Parts: sequence; C-alpha cells; structure tokens
Amino acid sequence: MLEVMDINVFHGDIQALWDVSMTLQDGEIVTLIGANGAGKSTIAETIAGFIIPASGSVLFDGVRIDDEQVHKVVDMGICLVPEDKGIFPSMNVLENLEMGAFTAKARKARDETIRTIYELFPILKIRSKQLAGTLSGGEQQMLAIGRGIMSKAKLLILDEPSLGLAPQITEEIFEVVYQIHKTGVSILLVEQNVHIALGLANRAYIIENGRVTKHGEARALLDDEHVMDAYLGTGM
Amino acid sequence: MIQMFAQSFVNGVNLGALYGLAAVGLSLAFGVMKMMNVAHGEFIMLGSYIAYWLFMLFDIDPFLGIPIVAFVLFLIGAVLYKLLFSGMVTFHEELKLKNSLLVAFGLFLVLPEVAKLLWTGDERMLTPSYSGSSFGLFGVRFGYVPTIGLLVSLAVITLLQLFLNKTYFGKSARATADNWKAAKMMGVNDARTYIITFAIGAALAGIAGVLVGLSGALTPGMGIGWTIKALIVVVLAGMGSIGGAFIAGLILGVAEAVSAIFMGPYAITVGLILFLLILMFRPQGLFARG
Repeated sequence: MLEVMDINVFHGDIQALWDVSMTLQDGEIVTLIGANGAGKSTIAETIAGFIIPASGSVLFDGVRIDDEQVHKVVDMGICLVPEDKGIFPSMNVLENLEMGAFTAKARKARDETIRTIYELFPILKIRSKQLAGTLSGGEQQMLAIGRGIMSKAKLLILDEPSLGLAPQITEEIFEVVYQIHKTGVSILLVEQNVHIALGLANRAYIIENGRVTKHGEARALLDDEHVMDAYLGTGM
Repeated sequence: MIQMFAQSFVNGVNLGALYGLAAVGLSLAFGVMKMMNVAHGEFIMLGSYIAYWLFMLFDIDPFLGIPIVAFVLFLIGAVLYKLLFSGMVTFHEELKLKNSLLVAFGLFLVLPEVAKLLWTGDERMLTPSYSGSSFGLFGVRFGYVPTIGLLVSLAVITLLQLFLNKTYFGKSARATADNWKAAKMMGVNDARTYIITFAIGAALAGIAGVLVGLSGALTPGMGIGWTIKALIVVVLAGMGSIGGAFIAGLILGVAEAVSAIFMGPYAITVGLILFLLILMFRPQGLFARG
C-alpha cells in the first residue's frame, strides 16, 4: 500500500536522506529504528507530505503523493502522529479529538470513534472537558494517538510514541497500538525503543545516517548481532 | 455625582464595545496567522465610507447596510490577502511577522490615498434621521445610535464566538492558531483557513467601521487612530485572545470615559498608560491562557 522509492531529502543544504526505499503492505506494522538524528522522523514527515523529496517518489495505493499537499495526503488516508504530539493546548480534550475527524469520511463516524477511544483510553473520557495543555505527558500521548485514530486513516504513522514516557504508560500505549492494528489499520512505527518495536512489528528498517542499512523480518532482526550490538546494548 | 458616573459608565460601555469590535478582527488574524495587520484601521475607514456611500447613493440605513459592508470588506480582505500576504505563510514566524508589518504599513499609506480619490479629503458625516436623539432611563441618557451600536457589537461578538467554537471551520481556525503544523496533520487546508480568517478579520473591521462612522466624522486619515486603539486592546487582552479582546475593549472604553470626569481631554492618555503598564507588568495580557 505504501511504496517509498529512492527518495533523497535535503534540509537546506544538508542532505538528510540518501536513496531511502521502503514498503509497507496492507495490514502490516512496519517499524523504522535508528539513533537520534538518523532520519527516521524525516522519512515520516516526507510520507505525510510536509517535506517534498528532491528526487524519488512516494506511492500510496498506487498514487503518487510526494508532491501532494498535506491535507490531500490526509484525505487519502495517511495520518501522522508527530514526535512532539502536536496537541492543541488551548482546546479541550474532546475538541482535540473532534479535530482529528476533520476529513469528510472521518466526520461521519465521529461520535462512534470517540466512544471507541474512550474505551481504549478511559482517562481521556474523564479529562474530556479539560484543556489539552494541562494534561500530563502520557495523557497527551494518549490524546495524540486517539486523535490519530479519529482520522480513520488506513495508515497511521506513529513517530516515537514512547518518547519521554514511563515504562508502564509505554506498555499501555503499545497495547492500544496493537488493538488498533487488529482493526485493520496499517502502522508505520518510528521508535527508539527497539525491543518493543521489533516485538510488535512484522518488518523493520534500520536507518543510519539517512540511509537504510538493513531491513527484514522484525523477529530475524531481534536475533541479528549487528542490531543487538548497536541498539540493544547486549553485545558487550 | 453618581448620575455623572453612571452617564460616563454608559458612554464608556458604548465606546468600549466599539473598541472591542475594532480589535477582535485584528486579534483573530494575529492569533491564527501570526501576522500583524497594521492597516486594520484602514479597513475600518473603508467600512465607514462604504456605509456612507450606501446611505447617500442608495438611501440604505447604515445599520441595515452592515451585512453589505461586511461582505464588501470580506472580498477586499480576501483579495488583498491573496495578492500581498499569502506568499508569507511559509516563512519562519518572526520573518512572517516583520514582513506582514511592512506590507500592512504599505497599505496604511496607500488606502487613505485611495479614499481621498474616491471621497476627497473633506469630512463626511453619516447621519440618519435618528442620530443625535436619545431616551432617558434612571436619569441616564441613552443615544439611539450608540445603543443600537452596542447591541450590534454584542450580536457580532456572540456570533463570532459561536462560529469559532461550534463550526468545523471555526475549530480549524482555533486549531491552526494553537499549532498550525498539527492542524495540517488533521487535514486542515491551511491556505484556505488563512484567507478566510483574514477576510473575516476585514469584515469585522468593516462592521466596526459602520459604527465608527455613525459616531463621528469620516476622513481618509481616520484609520490610524483606530489601529492604535485596536493594538492597545489586543495587548491588553493578550495577543490572539479573541473573546478577551472584546472585554478588554470595554475596560478601555470605561476607563477612558470615567477618567474624563477628572482628566478632561487628557483621558485619551489613559489607554496609553494602561498599554505601558500591561507591557511592563503583565506582557502576556489580561486574558491570555498559560
């Protein structure tokens, strides 16, 4: 469903991605793993339409989207949940969720999806009238993911959902990610928490210095010595 | 004495509603776009003159002509935004603010000249038959024009609040003001949000212009004074606080009117003193959240 082919991306004069290619099949969870600054978020933002690659192409369901505007990409069914969570601090939790259902398709299912999200994250129901800016970091991440679900996207891109969260909350969030996936949503998971990411994903791409250096079945990579050395710190 | 205070208070509320209405459009555009339209007062001036034209040429009552004025200013705002401001949206926030200031200063120079061509530099008056008449209540005089003006202001602000809080477009404008990038991620067409928001800001200036025109003489140079008032109110309320802007307008109006009892013509400095005090001790404004 998603095909990224040989994209080269620049931030100003600095090249951030070099000939990056990756694919994601319908119903898959694919994870991008790599160190800080390796270019994972740049890949996510390029797919979502925020960055136009200098060369290469991005296809979604066979349609080129690399030079489309962001709101068109959202309309087609891709939703990015960004690393900084991107909540609307001066709107309340419910309004944040409603904003998630901005596309015509999502709007129709709005009230039903809100109920589903309140079941997945009961705390959001309790906080529904509270301003989003006053939520804790974990609650904001739940809200960001909930808002992503509101979009009824076919592909959900989660950029570092575990960033800065306590292990217990991380677990809760990944449990929900798994639940969403079971309803048929494909997921591109950008993560530094390699163990969780590889445990959840079908396939994985390792990104180093803006290049894909390795890819394959997630379970195979869990046993890969190079990956173990570099990211799991077990090679000593 | 009490009666004099009451009268001043009523006058202040009427004036303050006008200040508030003059400021909300500026506040809305600034909040959503982070652009400072210092030609906002010129939009108010155009609104006054268009109401004057409608009244003189077509005999349309100024209050009844408000929807027409709002619509014309909406179009003018949309066209000017598209031509002059839309290229700046991708700029970094600080650069965007500086460039919008420069372009708006250009408009501040050009629009009064356009007004001179169309309406000459002579003072014009917008005086329907009922202007100047008033009714008394509890010993206080209520002018028909300012009283209807107050009701119009309240209605417009209420509608604006409903629009921003209840409609999807309004919510997307608020979301864009909060976090434009995240709003795009939700599928908000930011280019469309910006042009409509700017045009609504201009339409609100147009409505304020009608009420301003009814309260005094029309001159091509009248805009700058209203831009300054609107800026004071926006700073008083907190940048981008839309509901707060109206309340801050009322505070300024009442403060000016009541202090006029003691200070006479120097009451005009009250606004500027408030402006300085707010910048010194509460730079985020009275109603800014967080």
